[in-house]
Amino acid sequence: MAEPAPRGPVRIERFGEAALLVVLGDRVDAAVNDRVRRLTARLGVRAAHMAGLGAPVPAYASVLLPFDPLVLEEAAVRDMIAVALDAAGGPSMTADRTGIISVPVRYGGPDGPDLAEVAARTGRSEADVVRLHAAVEYRVFCMGFVPGFPYLGLVPKELALPRRATPRLHVPAGSVAIAERQTGIYPADTPGGWHLIGRTDLPAWDPRREPPALLEPGARVRFVPV
Amino acid sequence: MLAVVDPGPLLTIQDAGRPGLGRLGVPPSGACDWWGLAVANLLVDAAPGAAALEVTFGGCTLEAIETCVVGLGGADLGAERDDGRPLRRGTAHRVPAGARIRFTGAERGMRAYVALAGGIAVGAWMGSASTYAPGRLGFADGRALQAGDQLAPRRPGDLDAVGSVWPVRLAPYPADKRGPLGIVTGPDLDAAPDGALEALVAAAWRVSTSSDRMGLRLDGPSLGPGNEIVSHPLLPGAVQLPPDGRPIVILVDGPTIGGYPVLGVVPAADLPRLGQLRPRDEVRFTPLDAEAARAQSRRQHELLDRAAATLRADAIWLRLADRAGG
Repeated sequence: MAEPAPRGPVRIERFGEAALLVVLGDRVDAAVNDRVRRLTARLGVRAAHMAGLGAPVPAYASVLLPFDPLVLEEAAVRDMIAVALDAAGGPSMTADRTGIISVPVRYGGPDGPDLAEVAARTGRSEADVVRLHAAVEYRVFCMGFVPGFPYLGLVPKELALPRRATPRLHVPAGSVAIAERQTGIYPADTPGGWHLIGRTDLPAWDPRREPPALLEPGARVRFVPV
Repeated sequence: MLAVVDPGPLLTIQDAGRPGLGRLGVPPSGACDWWGLAVANLLVDAAPGAAALEVTFGGCTLEAIETCVVGLGGADLGAERDDGRPLRRGTAHRVPAGARIRFTGAERGMRAYVALAGGIAVGAWMGSASTYAPGRLGFADGRALQAGDQLAPRRPGDLDAVGSVWPVRLAPYPADKRGPLGIVTGPDLDAAPDGALEALVAAAWRVSTSSDRMGLRLDGPSLGPGNEIVSHPLLPGAVQLPPDGRPIVILVDGPTIGGYPVLGVVPAADLPRLGQLRPRDEVRFTPLDAEAARAQSRRQHELLDRAAATLRADAIWLRLADRAGG
């Protein structure tokens, strides 16, 4: 039996004339994100079958629902959200059937140039950092920054560090990084301010693959040292 | 068939974009000025959201490899033939083989659209031909077009559209409108400093030179730092308040989530205007009720539909006249 989902006050805010933002919480929190995921799933089913309703976009603690105001009235969309919230608020009735995706990682060395610094700043050995990072089953809370970048949580408290003071201009694709209580995989060569602790050969984003994104919001992930 | 001789600062293929993929971190992309794209396409009997060229600023030169017809929409970027003959926007022009089209730049507007008969023949990546480099989506792995690239029409040899003219008095370009941009307020006014919205509306802003298809940075008085919020999804038109207090307006290639407070969202009817702003242009905002924004959108789509119907009727008469021997 899952823990009861938090039922804090939900705000529905206007996001322009053609979208509503459902705010379910004000922090990065696994239970709140759980509710985000279920609300997104329910709204996604509606959107797939309903003219004028756009695909919902989840973030940590909120869901954006675009709609075509030339087709649907805002009040009707608010009603749909209320119905979906009721259904998404209680404990999940179905087992979570999402498989766990294993991501092989080469930690440290040239693949993880910040591993030593992370170890020093958290007062642990490099082996300890790797063990802690790889011990947790993560969830994709949301995606963004660039296509396919997963914001995964939650990293063990012991490893929580603020972002680097000066972001790198060039982070190689496949880099596995941490910041605060989150971890992610860089899908492409981009600038980046997270601590690079390892690298994977599994591309997080490949436009020639179907689907291009390795992960999606709600996916379960484990990092496996190789 | 058109060849790129000189792409200018940025030349890409754009269509109506790929909305609905925000959950994967993929922005909608597509034409910055969706109306300008629709005009160019409708002139050459293509779907309003078909793939066309988005020309940025001046400096682009194209050459016809085979005789073709091009529809010009969006900003008037001083297009002319290499013999100096001006190519008016809002018109479908015949470009004979070997002739060149130059965009010499102009006083106003940022992006022009060049459409080919039936649209540009190009593939789709996640449902759209739009170029989006960070996702490697679009023609040639999402890179901008370069000298030597060639673009073919879906209906090669079809010159029927030559001479079509956009009924501009019936359906004027939204980007030609003057006056403040609308802004539907919210959702994060609670996280903004007191009076930030009033100050946003009171000030005259200047578009910063560090603006692109991802967003417009606005120079002007600082509105004060917003409180950091838990990142939430974003859409084009969102006006964010970063720590330096100077607003950023998200455009079509912009981030799909963000942690700066959003003071308001520029409505769809004004997005073509946003897409045509150039560095140093002045920008003002005025709060707009959501219902008023929807009414503007409805009116805009009605005008586009009527203009498209007018073009179709004109095309039938043109063809009949041709067959009757002129």
